[in-house]
Amino acid sequence: MFYFHDISCISPQKTFSAIDIKNINPPQGDKLLVVEPSYEGIPLSILRRMGKAVRIGVGAALKIAKQNPDGIIIGTANGGMEDCIKFLNQIIEYNEGMLTPTNFVQSTTNAVAAQIGLMNANKGYNCTHVHRGLAFENAMLDVDMLLKENPSYNYLLGGVDEISAYNYNIELLGDWYKKEKITGTDLYEQHSIGTIAGEGAAMFLANNIEAGATAKLQALTMFHSDNEKLIAAELEKFVAENFNEEEKLDLFFSGENGDSRLQKYYDACENIISNETAIAHFKHVTGEYASVSSVAVWLACYILQEQTLPKHFFKYPSEKKDFRKILIYNNYKGAQHSFILVSKA
Amino acid sequence: MEREALKAQLKKQIVEFLNLMQVKPEDIKDDEPLFGEGLGLDSIDSIELIVLLNREYGIDIKDPKEGRKVLIDVNTMVDYIEAHRTK
Amino acid sequence: MGIISAVGNSVEANRSSLMQGKSGVAKAEFLSTKYSSSLLFGEVKISTQDLKEKLKAHEKGVTRTSLLALHALGEAINDSKLTASELNSFDTALIGADTVGGMCLTDELYHDANTNEQGSEYLSSYDCGSVNMYLQSRYTINGIINTINTACSSSANSIMYGARLIHHGLARRAIVGGCDSLAKFTINGFNSLHILSDELCRPFDENRKGLNLGEGAAFLVLEREEDVANKHVYAELTGYCNSNDAFHPSSLSENGDGPYLAMKGALQIADLSAEKIDFVNAHGTGTENNDEVESKAMVRLFGKPPLFASSKASTGHTLGAAGAIEAVFSILSLANGEVYPGINFSNRIPTVGLTPVVNYSKKKLRHVMSNSFGFGGNCSSLIFSKA
Repeated sequence: MFYFHDISCISPQKTFSAIDIKNINPPQGDKLLVVEPSYEGIPLSILRRMGKAVRIGVGAALKIAKQNPDGIIIGTANGGMEDCIKFLNQIIEYNEGMLTPTNFVQSTTNAVAAQIGLMNANKGYNCTHVHRGLAFENAMLDVDMLLKENPSYNYLLGGVDEISAYNYNIELLGDWYKKEKITGTDLYEQHSIGTIAGEGAAMFLANNIEAGATAKLQALTMFHSDNEKLIAAELEKFVAENFNEEEKLDLFFSGENGDSRLQKYYDACENIISNETAIAHFKHVTGEYASVSSVAVWLACYILQEQTLPKHFFKYPSEKKDFRKILIYNNYKGAQHSFILVSKA
Repeated sequence: MEREALKAQLKKQIVEFLNLMQVKPEDIKDDEPLFGEGLGLDSIDSIELIVLLNREYGIDIKDPKEGRKVLIDVNTMVDYIEAHRTK
Repeated sequence: MGIISAVGNSVEANRSSLMQGKSGVAKAEFLSTKYSSSLLFGEVKISTQDLKEKLKAHEKGVTRTSLLALHALGEAINDSKLTASELNSFDTALIGADTVGGMCLTDELYHDANTNEQGSEYLSSYDCGSVNMYLQSRYTINGIINTINTACSSSANSIMYGARLIHHGLARRAIVGGCDSLAKFTINGFNSLHILSDELCRPFDENRKGLNLGEGAAFLVLEREEDVANKHVYAELTGYCNSNDAFHPSSLSENGDGPYLAMKGALQIADLSAEKIDFVNAHGTGTENNDEVESKAMVRLFGKPPLFASSKASTGHTLGAAGAIEAVFSILSLANGEVYPGINFSNRIPTVGLTPVVNYSKKKLRHVMSNSFGFGGNCSSLIFSKA
């Protein structure tokens, strides 16, 4: 697959500058809202128009975009949807009369990729993948193919989604959020339906250069299913295909989100993981949203770089210190699943 | 409405409507060009200002190109409002 | 292949309309909008309820966008003669595209986004991904599934993505395409930018004043050369490229870098020189900006451009479906050795002086290029060659 060089993340935690993933921010109500930086690199004339998804996507991508990548590939399920609902509200309020276009222009899901391209006059390949819980996975696959087609190129790869009035309310009505108050890892202890809402942006410079890389995307698989036995079988296959006899999986990084309806998938996987593999989870710091796997990949890169993982991440107590291979398992609403293997470069 | 008060109101509306960041209404000069130099607005802003004129003053400008002739600076906008407002 | 548009509910019906230079752009019959009489639309001539009946699609939360896609997908799958096991195989990919998703349901979306009353049946149908999630489950497609949204170039990009999956051995066959339905959201959005015309659009005409929105869907089944031995093959996808114009959120640059680079890149992949292209299915929306810039980019690339025309006065601008619908039209041209007229053209644009094809004719074609240039400057070009 390929290598991650520069990595950047705007999330509900201190992941952008002065990174600190040990001391975590709790949810505000049932939402983990991003910590937004000051966006110094975005001209005010452009910033004023941006909805949150575009802001955090562009903000996280800024430094990487300045390196003139040969293409921009983004995964987002609902990027720009806040502006979508603002425009929709205008339609209703003014009964399809005279409406302001900014909300509409900013509401298209490809607004993030387009804006990054616009700000840097980037004329390369530009694509936005929007397949819900596998939007970021498809973006990674796209980059993998691009780097085989153009081995010497560099690509800006990213994932972003926001909690917007639009999708928050819709998800709430769909019973996807918890009614209990959550403060942190108690997310996993409620034995009730629902999870907490999250948002974030993670951006990466991806290429084929091993020297100086932060981490390596070693393998990726994705599929649609609601059968936990199939998931477990896929995991066995994934591990068999990607580990030789001497290699060990150091960390199973679980996307479990506290929703009791989805626990069976994670349990099925944990049952076949070796006892030597540490198990950690991350959604108490990221919240749940379609492209959260992008922040999980950022976390995996960070862990591999720093060779440390704060206690609160571990599901079971572990003294694990030496990280070389991290397998992320995530599913979105129990229907879309992915295994992502990130390893030390 | 008295002209000075209308200018002040319009400047406030422009800043709010276009979400101009770090621009105070009182800092906009009456004859400062809205487009290109000066305030540096663009074609999407010109459409937005036409909507502003419609919603706040009941003025209907159908063609954005016609609108650009009105949207030169605060003075020209105020002249047009005084001549054509229906609200 | 499978298709549904304002000019027909099947590949044959579309071809027949194109040959006759018919337009399906008219006042809206089924869509409820303030503009149903004052603007013209390329509406598919079936109501949502009738689509549900015909397709036996009575599941909760199915949107018009999904229904149009289901219709076209069904035709494509039947046409391809894929067996059930091939369809369900882990190496069969489904790559779609749309920009509207379930946003065609304005009132339900408004309610679900803003109130805390009981949610509608469409709670999980609003996003772009909802269409392909539905198609995947309807047909139990088990390979790589994806949805792309890059505005007007979306389904050209989904065709490209599917082809590349096959090329890289990540799929053995790929069902690719896109869809979109008319929605108050897009109508009002485009209207707020003053780029809709209240008359039938005039692609490449001096007096063009904007586009007409349309709706529809199209899917194509892509397979590897070694797998198509005894099958009927329409054409070969030989070139593809995507580039970014990077000039403005909703208009193309004067020199048309995005369109130019996309077309040039497609030629490179196809290993063809520009003069080998026999016909271009242009994006040609009928807006002042697009048609002039696209013309300039064609002159820049071709010197003397080949025969070209836009089909958007027939179907309207079908947004997320445009790339796929126009791919089908390009392939029909190639497979049948004919050129369809671009309708509603009278006078050339003075600054570029290009004249599109205005009459139907039989013509042997070897390579056809199909272009789609979108919002945010996303430009894609596909090249199809005689099989």
